[in-house]
Amino acid sequence: MTDVLDSVARYDGALASVDVDTAVAVVERLLDDGADPVSVLVEVIAAAQRTVGERWQRGEWTVAEEHAATAVSVSATEAVARYVRRTPATRGRVVVACAEREWHALPAMIIGTALRADGWDTTLLGASTPPVRLSQYLHDLGPDATAVSCSVLGALATTRRFIEASTAAGIPVVVGGSAFGRDGLRARALGATAWAPSAREASGIVAGLPTVVPSVPPLSGAAPAEQAAMELAHHRLVGELREHWSLAAQIVTTAQSPLDSVQVIARDVVNQAVHAVWAALLTGDPRTLTETSAWVEELLRARGVDVGLVAELGSLMARSLHEFPLARDLVEHHWAGGTVRTGTTGTTAR
Amino acid sequence: MMHGRTLSAVGSQVPPLGEETSTEPTEQQLLAQARQRAALAGEITTELAGSLNLRRTILRLFDLVRPELADWVMLAMADSRAGRLALHGGANPTFTTSVELDVTEELGLGRVLRSGHSELLHVAVDEAAPDGLDSMIPDTGLRDEATALRPADVLGLALTARGSTIGVLVLVRGAGRGFPQEDVDLAEQIAGRAAMALDSARLYEDRTRVASVLQASLRPPALPRVPGLRLSARFRAAAEHLDIGGDFYDVHGAGDDWLLALGDVCGKGVEAAVLTGRARQSIRTAAHFDRSPAAVLSALNSVLYDEDSDKFVTVVCTRVRPAADGRSAEVTLAVAGHPSPLLLRADGSIEQVEVSGTVAGVLPEVSYREVRVDLAAGDTLVMFTDGIYEARGEDGFYGMDRLLALLPNYAGAGPEAVCEALEQDVVEYLGGRAHDDMALFAVACGR
Repeated sequence: MTDVLDSVARYDGALASVDVDTAVAVVERLLDDGADPVSVLVEVIAAAQRTVGERWQRGEWTVAEEHAATAVSVSATEAVARYVRRTPATRGRVVVACAEREWHALPAMIIGTALRADGWDTTLLGASTPPVRLSQYLHDLGPDATAVSCSVLGALATTRRFIEASTAAGIPVVVGGSAFGRDGLRARALGATAWAPSAREASGIVAGLPTVVPSVPPLSGAAPAEQAAMELAHHRLVGELREHWSLAAQIVTTAQSPLDSVQVIARDVVNQAVHAVWAALLTGDPRTLTETSAWVEELLRARGVDVGLVAELGSLMARSLHEFPLARDLVEHHWAGGTVRTGTTGTTAR
Repeated sequence: MMHGRTLSAVGSQVPPLGEETSTEPTEQQLLAQARQRAALAGEITTELAGSLNLRRTILRLFDLVRPELADWVMLAMADSRAGRLALHGGANPTFTTSVELDVTEELGLGRVLRSGHSELLHVAVDEAAPDGLDSMIPDTGLRDEATALRPADVLGLALTARGSTIGVLVLVRGAGRGFPQEDVDLAEQIAGRAAMALDSARLYEDRTRVASVLQASLRPPALPRVPGLRLSARFRAAAEHLDIGGDFYDVHGAGDDWLLALGDVCGKGVEAAVLTGRARQSIRTAAHFDRSPAAVLSALNSVLYDEDSDKFVTVVCTRVRPAADGRSAEVTLAVAGHPSPLLLRADGSIEQVEVSGTVAGVLPEVSYREVRVDLAAGDTLVMFTDGIYEARGEDGFYGMDRLLALLPNYAGAGPEAVCEALEQDVVEYLGGRAHDDMALFAVACGR
C-alpha cells in the first residue's frame, strides 16, 4: 500500500518536472509488480492528470507547462498500452475516437488502453477526427462498438455526428468524458447507446451493448436548429463578445500576447461560454451554463480579476443572442446563477 | 441502456407473423399484419443500406429479421475461390464457422445455391430429417439449436444479386408458426434486398482488403523509442478519410545515430502517396549506407531523376546524434527544396536554420550542403511542410508569422507538446475548411 502511495507521489513529481523517464519507470514498475493496468491508468495517470488541469485553472501552471505534463502522461499511458498488448485480444473490436474540436486525446487513449487491458481489440483514431474519417474506419473494420471521448462542451455537436455515423452503420456508441457531466442525461439526449461514467466502467458497459442499434432519428425541434444557426454565426458572436467584454476587449489588434495573459485566457473563455450555450440547446441540459460560469469565476478569481465580470459576460451574451430566443433565455436563467439581465452590464454576480 | 426497436409497438397488439391462432384473425389484425409486413420490408431496405461492412451488414440483417420474420436465422455465404461456405448466426448472431463447399453439393442448401430457387421444408418432431434440418444446416451445433424448435418450418432463401446467387438465408419458424404464402412472399422480397446489400458489402470488403494492405505501407510510421531523444510527429491528409497523402516522415538509425526525414511529394491523394512510398524507400536504402543528410538527398535525387523526370520531392533530412547523458545532441541537416526547420530554444527564442538546396528529382546530379546546429537541453527542432503555413482560414493563410508567434509559448515543453499545440492551432484556424496535406516532425534531446 505504501508502495503504491509512494509511486503516486513519484509520478506526480515526474509530471511536475517533465521527467518522462521517471514517469514511465514508475508505471512500468507498478505493472511488473502485478498492479492492475486499469488501476494504474485510473488511479495514477488520470488522477495526476486531473491535478494538472487544476493547476492551470488556479493559474499555477502555464499552458506550456500543462501541455508538457500532458505529454508525460501520454508517454506513461503508452507504456501501459505496450504492457497490455502483450496479452492477445480475445473480445470484440472497439473504435475509440474524439470528434472534431476535441483536442484532449489523452482521455480517449486511457479509455482505449483500459478496454485493451480487458481484452478488447481497440483502434484509436486520435484527437479531432472528422466524421468522414470515422465512417471510413467503421466500414473498413466493422467494429462491435464505437467509444467517443468528449471533454469539451464545444465538441458535443460533432460528437452527435459521430453518433449518427456509427448508428447509421448499426454500430452501438458508448460516450464518456467530462463534457457529458455527472449523469447520462446529455448522452441520452444526443442519442448515444450508453454513457460511461468512468474509464473503469467502460469495459463492462461495452460488453453490455446491444449487437445492433437502429439509426438515431434526426435531432428535430427549435433548440437544435438554433444551435446550428449559432454555429454558423460563431465567428461574429465571439467577435462581438471579445470586443465588448471588459476582460477581452483590451486586445483588439492582431498583436500577439503570451498565451497565459489574462486577455488571451479571456478570448478562450468567450469561446467556452458560447459553446456552453450550444451544449444546453443540443442536450436540453442547462447545467452546462451553470457549470461553465462557475468555472469562469474560479478562473478569474485565481487570477485576481473582479468576478463581477462573469455576470457582465452573461449580459453581453444575452444581448448578442437577440436572434436566438431560446439561447438568450437559457443564458438569462442559468448563467451565473440566473443573475443575468439583458441590457445591464458590469453587475456583480455575488 | 437506451435502445429501442421501432417495430415493437406494432408487434405488441398483433400475433407474430405466421402464428396460428385459435380464432380466425379479425380484419383489424390482418390489416395490422399487412402493415407490419410492409414496414419490415421498408425498414430492411433503409437500414441495410447504412453499412458497407460485410460483418455489420450481416448482424443488422439478423437483427431486422428476428423475431418478426423467423425464430432462428442462419446465413450461408459462398466463397467459391476458397471453396468454402461461411455460416453465420444461429442463436448467437455473432457466431461464424465455415464448411467445405463440396459437402453441401447434394444438400438442400447446395440446391438453393445452384438453382437460385428458394425451398420450404416442414420438419416434424419425430422425423429423423434426412432432407430436413440436415439439408439446410450443415453444422452440428447450429443444427441442434434449430432441432430444438421442432416441429419447425425451414425456409431456405436464395440470395441472388447482380446475376449470381451469393448465399442462402435460412429462416426457421418453430412450433405452430408456419410460413403462410404472404410470409414467403415477404421473405423473398426481403431476401432480394438483403442480397444486394450483402453483395455490395462483399465487393467493398474485397476492395478494402487490397487497399488496406497497400495503404499500410504508405501510412506514416509509428515512431521508435530512441534513447536520449524525444520525437513527435503529426500528419493530416488532405483527403481526410484516407490517412495517406503526399506528405511523409520517417526515422532510420540505431544506437546514437539517427536520420529523421520529412518531405512533400508533388501531387495529391493516392498517386502522391505512392510516390511518397518510393521516396521513403529510397531514403531508407541510402541511409543504410550513409546517414549523412547530403549523401541521402543526393542519392534520392538521382533515383527519382532516373525513375521519372516529371516527379519531384521536397525533403528535409536531419541527422541527430544524442550525447550519452541525453542533455544535448549534435544535429546536421540538409534540405532539398524544402522549408528550413525552426529551432525553438529553451528560452523561447527562435532561429530558422539557414540552409537551402534544390528540389529532388528534377536535375540529374545535385550536391547538397549540410549545416550543423546543436540541440541543448530544452531546445526543440521543428520540421514542417507547406501545408501548415498555407492552411487557409477566415483571415487568409495561417502564415509563418502565426507559427513564429505561437512557438515561443511552448519553449521547453518538448516535441509532443509543440506538435499538439501547433496542430490544434492550425486545424482550429482552418475552421473546417479543406486543406492540403500537413505534416510536422519535432525532435529534442532527453527523454
